[in-house]
Amino acid sequence: MGITEKQAEIASTSEKSTEIARKKNFVQPLIYCVIVIALALLPLGIKNPFLLHVLILTFIYVIAASSLRFVITSGQYPLAHGAYMAIGAYTSACTAKLLGWPVFLTIPLGGVVAMIIGGFIAYPFARLRAFYYAMVSLFFGLGVIQLIIVLTKWTSGAGGLVNIPHLLPTTDKTPYYYFFLGFMVICLFALWRFEFSRIGLTLKAIAQSHMVASSVGISEVWYRVLALAIGCFFVGIAGATYAHYNFTLSPTSFDMMASFWLFIYALIGGISSFSGPIIGTALLVITPLLLSSLKQFIPYVTAGILLVVFYVMRDGIVGLPKLIMSRFGKPKPGSGNRAF
Amino acid sequence: MELVSSAFVNALLISAMYIVVALGFAFLLNVMGFLNFSHGVIYMVAGYLCYQFEVIYGINQWISLFLAVIIIAGLGIVLERYFFRYATGNLDRMIIISLAIILILQNSVNNTVGYLARSLPSFAPGLIQFATFSFPVDKVLTFVIGGVLLASLIWFTRNTKYGLQMQAVSQNLEGAKLQGISVHRVAAIACAIACGMAAIAGCLMGALFNLNAFMGDNMLVKALELVILGGIGSIGGILLSGLLIGTIDAVVPLYSSGAMGTVIGLAIIVVILLFRPQGFFGREFS
Repeated sequence: MGITEKQAEIASTSEKSTEIARKKNFVQPLIYCVIVIALALLPLGIKNPFLLHVLILTFIYVIAASSLRFVITSGQYPLAHGAYMAIGAYTSACTAKLLGWPVFLTIPLGGVVAMIIGGFIAYPFARLRAFYYAMVSLFFGLGVIQLIIVLTKWTSGAGGLVNIPHLLPTTDKTPYYYFFLGFMVICLFALWRFEFSRIGLTLKAIAQSHMVASSVGISEVWYRVLALAIGCFFVGIAGATYAHYNFTLSPTSFDMMASFWLFIYALIGGISSFSGPIIGTALLVITPLLLSSLKQFIPYVTAGILLVVFYVMRDGIVGLPKLIMSRFGKPKPGSGNRAF
Repeated sequence: MELVSSAFVNALLISAMYIVVALGFAFLLNVMGFLNFSHGVIYMVAGYLCYQFEVIYGINQWISLFLAVIIIAGLGIVLERYFFRYATGNLDRMIIISLAIILILQNSVNNTVGYLARSLPSFAPGLIQFATFSFPVDKVLTFVIGGVLLASLIWFTRNTKYGLQMQAVSQNLEGAKLQGISVHRVAAIACAIACGMAAIAGCLMGALFNLNAFMGDNMLVKALELVILGGIGSIGGILLSGLLIGTIDAVVPLYSSGAMGTVIGLAIIVVILLFRPQGFFGREFS
């Protein structure tokens, strides 16, 4: 009796969730369009270069965090995403600076190189499961950063690569702002299409149960390789554009802590939803830089945000409306949102 | 010959310190299922606390070492009660809470002591003459302290009541609860021991090398390498992998650059783990 009741419950909640999803299909793109238009109109009112710089960095990290989330949906925990970003950035910067190739050729090249390396790494890593995957990829990422430091001849080592060719022939922030806004929209649209295509659904199936997925004829290894390759491509081009925007590169901006931060951006927003990494990145990149008058106390604000999300919002910030509903509305069956 | 003897002493010393930190780290992982990414920062804070007591307040160096260890062990209990307890067994939450602790502690050190490198005075200056070799006393002393700590910790886990309780909790949590073991008390003791050992290592390493605000990152990586490579739940595995990695770290920089040594070590670790994900002597961990 208990089992059938539970099944009925699950069926009703899943029906409800598909209903909600159908409703969201109209609402969500509309919200995204409004946000993009608002962002596009922003430089008309604000001429502050620092604020534009902050927003450009946010756009770059949104791409990186969203691509990380795409990999996570396949059930892999890559703690080496900073390293893949470094591969894209250094490939693009070195080919543009040392070989003199045009920037708009080297940026896709950076993405492709990161994609190829990610694909080749994913194949042996496909035998590892959650915890061990995270650890081995962490060591792999550390190794890549150390390798960049060792290859002093091309990458200038720990001192950092300087005088990277510029992306656009101007130092004004506004053209850059529009370039990165468009770039982010294109990348997010591509990731969105991937997520809700057959590939994305297959990846989610593998993450839920790799045994069931492989028993219905899904090649688990191939799809995990595909997921990491796609994620690495996007994080690679994000790193490459970062290199040509920032003009200098240092290995420390892609080290273990950077990988952790990308993970945190995705987690704080919530990895259960596509908008999670976008919200998380926006919150954690923009808030500290807007509070720059606090100077050395900014990290405490960031830590406070992390702690609030940790204790109160289990599903990240995107779980907040659901959490409020479950607290103040009437309790719904199957809503597992609790503080602890 | 001088080079060989100093490389030998350094290898043993670095291995001993890595093992001391990694054992505390492994304690937390076994007993609580918590992967403490903030372990390196706790190690760093201990060094700075010792510096504060010893150099700023002018307290005797052994007493200040003792004070630093006690304070950090107490901090460990607080962290267990209010932070670690809510993150066990979930990698996402472990990363969030560890990053929050790293941010708070690292910036507290930066704001109070400053981000410049400091150096603790040596705990025992001088040289020991042994046949034709001479060894620095402080390095030998650090190695001896590390060895004594390891031996007493192994004795503690095998013979005392709380040590046995820890083993029970790490083997079977539900079973241990049914036998009336207070899991949270055991976790608090494990946390205090882990943080205390990291504190001792931090003070001793701070006296041998310089203190800086980012010295914990390297130590965290080493602790992770040791625990994962040796195998979760195995003290012998940690000893073996500690000697291996300590030797690589002490010997390879003699022949090439330090970064090259790290690359070689990491490549070896990744290849071993691809074929044997549970490490040398590990059990499956979920």
